[in-house]
Amino acid sequence: MSEFHLTEDQQDCLQELINIAMGQASDQLARYLDTFVYLKVPSIESVDAKDLIQTLSQQQNTMAIVSQGFFGYEGIRGEALLAYQEEDSGRIADLLGYEPDELSQDEQLIDISSILTTTFLNVFARQIDNQMSYNAPKLLPMVQNSLLDHLQQMTFNWDVALKININYQVTDYSFNCNMILLIPETAILNIKKVLDRILADF
Amino acid sequence: MSPSVLICDDSNMARKQVLRSLPEQWKTSVQTASNGAEALSILRDNSVEVLFLDLTMPGIDGIGVLQGIQKLKLNCSVFVISADIQPEMQAKVKALGAKEFMRKPVKADILLNHLQQHGLL
Amino acid sequence: MLDPNALTHLKSTGEPMLTEPMLKQINSQIANQLNTGVLVIDDEFNIVMWNRFLQVHTDKATANIIGQSIFTIFPELPERWLTRKLTSVLQLNSPSFCSWQQRHHLFELPHTRPITTDSEFMAQNCTFLPIETDCAQKHICILIEDVTDVCHYQGQLQKTLEELAQMSRIDGLTQIYNRRHWQESLAQEYAKSRRHNKKLSLIMLDLDHFKLLNDNYGHQCGDMVLTEISALVSSLLRVEDTFGRYGGEEFAIILPETHLAGAMELGQRICTSIATASLNYNGVAIKVTVSLGVAELSDDDSRYEELITQADLALYQAKGQGRNKVCSAAFVTSFPLA
Repeated sequence: MSEFHLTEDQQDCLQELINIAMGQASDQLARYLDTFVYLKVPSIESVDAKDLIQTLSQQQNTMAIVSQGFFGYEGIRGEALLAYQEEDSGRIADLLGYEPDELSQDEQLIDISSILTTTFLNVFARQIDNQMSYNAPKLLPMVQNSLLDHLQQMTFNWDVALKININYQVTDYSFNCNMILLIPETAILNIKKVLDRILADF
Repeated sequence: MSPSVLICDDSNMARKQVLRSLPEQWKTSVQTASNGAEALSILRDNSVEVLFLDLTMPGIDGIGVLQGIQKLKLNCSVFVISADIQPEMQAKVKALGAKEFMRKPVKADILLNHLQQHGLL
Repeated sequence: MLDPNALTHLKSTGEPMLTEPMLKQINSQIANQLNTGVLVIDDEFNIVMWNRFLQVHTDKATANIIGQSIFTIFPELPERWLTRKLTSVLQLNSPSFCSWQQRHHLFELPHTRPITTDSEFMAQNCTFLPIETDCAQKHICILIEDVTDVCHYQGQLQKTLEELAQMSRIDGLTQIYNRRHWQESLAQEYAKSRRHNKKLSLIMLDLDHFKLLNDNYGHQCGDMVLTEISALVSSLLRVEDTFGRYGGEEFAIILPETHLAGAMELGQRICTSIATASLNYNGVAIKVTVSLGVAELSDDDSRYEELITQADLALYQAKGQGRNKVCSAAFVTSFPLA
């Protein structure tokens, strides 16, 4: 148990903040996509960097990973990775309301990732009186070990990552993706501070 | 006279949030449940008058609890407090007998307002 | 652009650090000196303002574009797609992005490197940001970043990498695949044939008396023969076959979805073609023959290396039976102990 792991109360508090953010993001998405989004409880775990790299690089059928950096006040920053399985990529253009020939599959993945990441993190930030800015999302090349290379080349050091498994199911489409938030150590300490502040109110 | 109250939410913080928003005199007669199954067993054995219910929970969720209440023909006022705020969901819980739908995080003034509207205060 | 909190800061003299008019001037000067296009549109996609960068690069007068639809001023924009994208920015109140890697450019703007790059227009990274003001109407700020240089160098890097990758697969002398790449291909074909339950055959091929040839005519003649034989064999193969140089004068051919009889037939054709080919070195006619061993993947083989061993054994048998012939692994009689 390191100083970067969340206490039970912090974990509960973060889970609730994320549930609320997910709820509002889904509501926005549902209106934008003109469909109903079925919500499951997102699972949150803090994972060791080593384990995460191993888990991710062992996922054979991961078809694409889109990465997008985010940063806000109070030193809260990190990188969101959205991982897609092959079967999830089929009808994204349809879902987004584009004609399939208007954009490439890469662009579809980047677009949906950006929408999922920013709508979710915007609401999350608002709850903790913060505001996020974002880097342009980019598709990681899916050659062997590229994820490993990417994670190792990241501009910050991180030992612990917050892994949030989000499952979006949309009425007319079945669509799943995993959102993983990689948070650098210092930012985790900052998040813990924010959580403690919220918890102190109770 | 304060009614018997049950707060059902899988999050400890969310339960505290509801508790904090209740009228002072109610706070002495509050039970809590952290999932749908627990809530149903309390509802069955006790005469709960007011239930504050979360929707998204592991196992039996809020919808399951509402269906259980209908099936058991329990007479209790249900206030849904949920993060899932899509209009379809709000309509669904109303159709299942919920008095009101409140979005998370719950605000004390809104909650008290609803209690008043339904003659509970 | 700047944190308006600065307005509340006071100097030691009691004067404000920054006044509203100063802030306005600073903001507009920064906007106009940026090497990035800034374009603000309202929620009906009419242009509200732009900066000097865009004015200069479009060569249009500001007065003529304000209030006009972005699609009128920039008819090159993909209207349906962009409308959907802009709608997402307004409705979700979140930023959206468009990278040159997916779309080289959105706006047809000239760039500053017309000679060294092959595109007519500036490569762009575009960012669409939701803007909230005191007015009820929402706005979108479009940032247009010139990434022509990045695009150009990335293209060159890509080309070089492809050349390098190609070079690392090719045998310098014969221009067919080298052993490393050939073996990787075999591993892949092996996996594929196991997965889809398809046939797979292999031919190992060795030049007869190659050492003698080198001794009699010199190594340059040997090199010529290796090159000519490689070209000749290549001409007899299908596109899906993988032909590589296995060792000095040893070659190997992977034949996907081919059974033993088919591989034997091809082996015989190669054997005859080489034996009847007329090679010429400095006016001297050179006679060359090859021996070939053929094997088909059997259900017992649990590794692709076993297929090589089978074909090698057949090749030894062909050598043993007088060379210039094809032998099948199915009829190899004596198995030397490994």
